[in-house]
Amino acid sequence: MLHNLKDIQHTASLVTKVFIQRDYSEGTVCRFQTKFPTELNNKIERALLEQTVKTLNLYYMEAEKVGGQSYLEGCLACATAYIVFFCMETRYEKVLKKISGYIQEQNEKIYAPRGLLLTDPIERGMRVLEISIFEDQGSSGSSPSSGMSSCSTAR
Amino acid sequence: MPASGGESLKPSAFIPVCTAVCLLVGSTSMFFVFTCPWLAVTICPAIPPCCAVLFLFVLANFTMATFMDAGILPVAGEDEDKEDEFRAPLYKNVDVKGIQVRMKWCASCHFYRPPRCSHCSVCDRCVEDFDHHCPWVNNCIGRRNYRYFFLFLLSLTVHMIVVFTFGLIYVLHHMEDLWKLHCLVTLVVISISGLFLIPVLGLTGFHLYLVSRGRTTNEQVTGKFQGGLNPFTRGCCSNMEHLICSPISPNYTSRSYKKAVIHVRPPFLRPEIDGQMPMKIRDNGIQSLAIQDKQSSAGSVELSDIKQLKHPPPLPPKPDRGLLKSQVAAMDDVGHHTKSIIPVSIPTVPQLRPVLEAISRGSSPIPPEQLLKASEQQGNNKGPDLCSNPRESPARGNHQASVPVQAPLLPSTVSSSLQLNSLTLSSRSLNLKHSSRYASNCAAGSITTSSMLANQSSSSGNGKPSFDNLISPADPQFVAQRGAPAVSYHSHLMAHGAEGAMQRPSPHSYSPVFMGVTRQSPQPRDSTSRDPSPSLPGFLQRDSSPAYHGLLTRDLQSQSIATRDVPPPGLLMRDMTSLGFQDNLRDLYPQDMTLPMSAAARYDNFSKTIMASIQERREQEERAGKFHVNARSQALYGPDVGIYDIPSRRSLPPDNIRPAGSRGPTPPAYGSREFLMSTGILGYGMRTSPLSSSSTSSLTRGPKTSSSPLQSSSSSLQSKGRSSSPAYGPPERHNQGPPTSTSTLPRLTSTTYPTPPYTSYATAKRSSLPFSSEGKESFPLGVLK
Repeated sequence: MLHNLKDIQHTASLVTKVFIQRDYSEGTVCRFQTKFPTELNNKIERALLEQTVKTLNLYYMEAEKVGGQSYLEGCLACATAYIVFFCMETRYEKVLKKISGYIQEQNEKIYAPRGLLLTDPIERGMRVLEISIFEDQGSSGSSPSSGMSSCSTAR
Repeated sequence: MPASGGESLKPSAFIPVCTAVCLLVGSTSMFFVFTCPWLAVTICPAIPPCCAVLFLFVLANFTMATFMDAGILPVAGEDEDKEDEFRAPLYKNVDVKGIQVRMKWCASCHFYRPPRCSHCSVCDRCVEDFDHHCPWVNNCIGRRNYRYFFLFLLSLTVHMIVVFTFGLIYVLHHMEDLWKLHCLVTLVVISISGLFLIPVLGLTGFHLYLVSRGRTTNEQVTGKFQGGLNPFTRGCCSNMEHLICSPISPNYTSRSYKKAVIHVRPPFLRPEIDGQMPMKIRDNGIQSLAIQDKQSSAGSVELSDIKQLKHPPPLPPKPDRGLLKSQVAAMDDVGHHTKSIIPVSIPTVPQLRPVLEAISRGSSPIPPEQLLKASEQQGNNKGPDLCSNPRESPARGNHQASVPVQAPLLPSTVSSSLQLNSLTLSSRSLNLKHSSRYASNCAAGSITTSSMLANQSSSSGNGKPSFDNLISPADPQFVAQRGAPAVSYHSHLMAHGAEGAMQRPSPHSYSPVFMGVTRQSPQPRDSTSRDPSPSLPGFLQRDSSPAYHGLLTRDLQSQSIATRDVPPPGLLMRDMTSLGFQDNLRDLYPQDMTLPMSAAARYDNFSKTIMASIQERREQEERAGKFHVNARSQALYGPDVGIYDIPSRRSLPPDNIRPAGSRGPTPPAYGSREFLMSTGILGYGMRTSPLSSSSTSSLTRGPKTSSSPLQSSSSSLQSKGRSSSPAYGPPERHNQGPPTSTSTLPRLTSTTYPTPPYTSYATAKRSSLPFSSEGKESFPLGVLK
């Protein structure tokens, strides 16, 4: 609770958003560009962001892999007249949950301490990886609700 | 049903789907009721269950095609659409497997439509992999539900054929009772099924064709890939496999997101730019401050005198820090008599810089920061060594002195550098007073050093302008005294047990000056082959194959230079004594002023680093043939000229900003030629050249494919004009990390040359590079179809 915080606390406000676009060089598979946005030059180390993007790319690659599990899922779905979709979630959905957890972890450990926030690409239709940049707006008095910024809320 | 706005729920939109549902369910029900009993009795009892299963399959697919989200993309928020829509380009090109695909701006959804995405006017939303809007299911058919639609068509076709066939059999067996209810109903059923079988069969056949070609209805109708260059096709069987068996992509619009609250609270961490080095320099500053305290009075006097030194003549722009580092590294290499083969092919300087550092260190895959740290440690280690071996090997010591130089090459704060420089000067001047011999010996070199230092500080704009003032003392003696340690650094250190801090301050400027001095000092004695200027023309003026010859000759020269680099300080000292200080000044300044000379110093450094690679290249020349070498050198030679201009620009980004990913930072690659070649040109050249050469056979798509791939790729490197290349670069280079050198160079040379696409395709097949051959093979499949 904010009223437990010290009287003087710094506020963070959203300054801008950086969008890492999709990398379509290999078709419509889900990949994000690993190019480092210049707006983040002084905000985060390149290696960290690159690592995040590459990990996300690996996750998506795993989700979209056409292999044994996807065969089985398809056959099962056909055999059950797709009723199975009501009962269990697909592998893609499972990987998406993993991705969501990974992004949450990255935000908590790496990005939020640097005034950044990643938004799950699924919320943007997997078109962009949105990074919100926050800036320290200096200290505020006793305003209770201005000290924190939340993210990843449902739209 | 599509998830669209309320106003689109027109009753008329439901008529086709209701009709389709009624016809399908009704007809089939009547078939089961009136026809199947006789079939089960007369022909086979398994017919009704099979038909039922089939009908169930049809219904399931129909339901999925009707109610499943096709892959509707959510409308972009306002944050994404930052540009004024009037100024935003309507189309954005993106490179998909070597083919330029246009992404159109969607005014309704406020984003550039991804490839294969289209805006459905009925649903008023952009749909991923948009096929068409089917009125019979009243839904968009897109990425997520295309397989259900396709399976619905297939199963419906089969079902209709089955119903028609069995109904016909029944009617033919009941010709005498044609007007009975069962027969009449069956007649109606077979007439409906027969009537709708023809369009359904046509549609099924059409979609079978689309799937085999890897196209959507939208693409077929709009004629996007009529030339046969479809980057989205994977081959007929693979397309079918992907259609049926690929995982279902997620629903974007109706997802329940977990509310993850993350607190973003200042103060924020910030990345340390050159984190290690500033610390070191601050340490230096602390130590230097201590020294300054001790020698403050004398130091201040020295400083004031130094300030009066005349401004050095306009020197060429300060070489980039990385260049200095590389030069120092090269010097270090030479000083230690290391003739390591340093594979430098086509220098795009920003890319080469860190590699040169690593290479000069002995081709260890150490990132520059670690290299600098290592050099820092070496410098610290060598400090006492230098002190202990005062006179042993001036040149060697000099070179060794350059080792600690590398550490502070990274940018330091203005104040710290100023402190260091001034303190170094003061301390060195103090030392000079005690060793006049060294002072006189090294005066000329020191002048050069100081002038170079001044020039660097002034031109770099790194905030060392006051260093100019520091160097400005007009008193030659002071200049000599001050400059001496710059050249015979070790001597002072050895004589006076200078601390590592003293060694550190000016080496970044020291090294190139030393290079210049090295080049210049033997001139009175060896005026012929040691002149560095031939190396520069050798680089710039030689032609295609002569370029390599020139490089080879430079290689020899550089070898001799390398050998002679060892004694230069001694030579320099002797030169100084023999020629006199003023003469040396005159000798050195004009040469310093000459742009090519100082540039030649840099280029000589390159030559050092290149010589080993030239040797290797020689071998490869014999293998690949002069022909390819000429072609390659021609292609490379062009960008080289421009590239050598780069060091003079101040726009070169410092090392720390260089994205590691863009250089393919896999450890084994640093010291390898393959890495350099792939980094410099091959990374992009490989990307474009094989595919471009294959695409030239059918249809050239991108602007890069028309010109020489290397030049285009090098220009892309410089201009960064290709939006997809940065993205494509890293994975490409990762793939290229392991390949052998033998595969790399021949591949490049063959693709550089305008060989027929078929040949290049064969080359691609031979190549060990995974992606390039992969992309090439998959791509021509569409071409050749």
